[in-house]
Amino acid sequence: MSELGYLSLQQLTKRFRGVPAVNDVWLEIAAGERLSLLGPSGCGKSTTLQLIAGILRPDQGQITLQGRLLNRLPPERREMALVLQKGLLFPHLSVGENVAFGLKMRGVNRVEREARTLALLDQVQLTGFEDRQPTELSGGQAQRVALARSLVIRPKVLLLDEPLSALDANLRGDMQTLILRLQEETGVTMVIVTHDQSEAVVMSHRIALMFDGCLRQVETPEGLYQRPGDASVARFFGGVNFFTAAADHHRLTLAGGDVLTTDFPQQGTVQVTIRPECIHLLADQICGTNLLPVTVSQNRFTGTQRHLTLQTPAGLELQAWVPPSQNWAIGQTAFAHLPADALWSFPTPTVPAPPQSVPKALSP
Amino acid sequence: MTRKVVLSLIIGVLFLPFLPLLIWSFAQGWYFPQLLPAQWTVTNWQAIFTASTKVGQGFVQSLAIASLATALALVVGLPAGRALGLMEFPGKGAIKLFLLLPIIVSPLATLMGIQFVLIRLGLSGTLLGVVLVHLLPTIPYMTLVLSSVYANFDISYEAQARTLGASPLQVLSQVTLPLIAPGVVVGALFAFLISWNEFLLTFFVGSGRVLTLPMVLFTSLQGGNTGLTAAIAITSILPALVFLLFSSRALSDDAAIGGLGDV
Repeated sequence: MSELGYLSLQQLTKRFRGVPAVNDVWLEIAAGERLSLLGPSGCGKSTTLQLIAGILRPDQGQITLQGRLLNRLPPERREMALVLQKGLLFPHLSVGENVAFGLKMRGVNRVEREARTLALLDQVQLTGFEDRQPTELSGGQAQRVALARSLVIRPKVLLLDEPLSALDANLRGDMQTLILRLQEETGVTMVIVTHDQSEAVVMSHRIALMFDGCLRQVETPEGLYQRPGDASVARFFGGVNFFTAAADHHRLTLAGGDVLTTDFPQQGTVQVTIRPECIHLLADQICGTNLLPVTVSQNRFTGTQRHLTLQTPAGLELQAWVPPSQNWAIGQTAFAHLPADALWSFPTPTVPAPPQSVPKALSP
Repeated sequence: MTRKVVLSLIIGVLFLPFLPLLIWSFAQGWYFPQLLPAQWTVTNWQAIFTASTKVGQGFVQSLAIASLATALALVVGLPAGRALGLMEFPGKGAIKLFLLLPIIVSPLATLMGIQFVLIRLGLSGTLLGVVLVHLLPTIPYMTLVLSSVYANFDISYEAQARTLGASPLQVLSQVTLPLIAPGVVVGALFAFLISWNEFLLTFFVGSGRVLTLPMVLFTSLQGGNTGLTAAIAITSILPALVFLLFSSRALSDDAAIGGLGDV
């Protein structure tokens, strides 16, 4: 990955009938980076992608690629390729003609067209499929052809709009691996739109989280799990433990007792979160700090984990996900260890106002 | 099996009326109570190819007028059908009704006014004038057919083609038109046949100087030569049959989408 600012969105805004679908988005994407636009449906992530592709025109703001302003450039001259959820293979063309489509439009001669088409079909593991019709393909195969059709034109940016959401779960994993491998082989900059946080985590170097048309946080996948910007971000990434605490520098006073955190010092009332898989449950009080006496009130076996609900005597409820080998009886008393580096706090106990996305979104 | 019986019944009912026509064209006198003519002849068919009956001239003029009217109806119908099929805008229902007006209103009611305008423009009695007036019934059919074709067309194919590097013109010729081709064939067929069979409009606007096949047929009918009239009638049906056979092939092509829809 090189420096940021290869593809750059500045103050990007798009309104539909006056309602902003994309609202003041600032984003810098590095060359060769894989970035996910993640958010619930209707959050404006697909609109953002279409603005980048040039299918939609922004009402405000700028899109630049390598410093060149793209706003007035039609989609066919942006040197990008878009893969949509449905694949959208042209039904009147064979698989080979579909893949060669972009080259034909660019006036590439037949010999080179065929060579590059066959090479890419090879890369997506569809050798020998060039004479088939799109109707003869399975969903996964069609999506691989769509991928080949986009990559054959050697785009500077590959845009993927929910490319895997129509596929079943087993296939999705294979496709993720294939896309990652192709991205690494070609070094193409990739922006992928998804509503599936686990997919975003697997597929990207950084995730841009969008809510209601606004960019909420741009972070590495690890960062979004460990350092969510606010409670709604944490919730989107599967956060379930939220409680208010009184903070005095590194000391947090919870309903169940005092704990220490490595989070930066804060004062006053804060909201604290800890990921359920970070909580350890101990039978005895072996280590000194960050232990809360709890009672096990629920035990659900999920196959790979046990989801425990824990109650402190003071009424604090915690969710802890422990390995399946640790089986706890309902009503059993134990000690919950909340590691200091896993406790993360937000300045306000309520959901904060919409972020001032300018400085925050720019920080990687 | 029953399917075959039903099919042959339908074909029989549809084509039976043409049988007497066929017999007439080869008959040399066919009078009641004869079941079949006593004498057969090919003179009627030979007469068609002579200049005096003007069948050849009428055939060529009909072909030219119907082709031109179809082409012009396509030029208007493609963008109009696209707008009506894909876009939502205020007054869409009113525009659809307005389009249907030439079909609803009798041409006799409007012909006086049209003839008046065409005489002023010097187009009365010309081929161009007849082509223009044939647009009156063809454009509504063409636009309505194409609007339902476009309504079934997934427009994201166009965006997809654009991002792959196709210019708007390339999108039209390489993606959109191939995909809506079956519907375009249907619309064009409608337009061509309406124009081909048009009598009243041609009769008035052509002022007897534009001689299409229906005009030749009408003249022959008035002349009272039943055998010749039957031969001309069969000649004027032929292109319709050829077109139908040709288009039914194009329409059964499963690879093409955006076909007939709710026409």
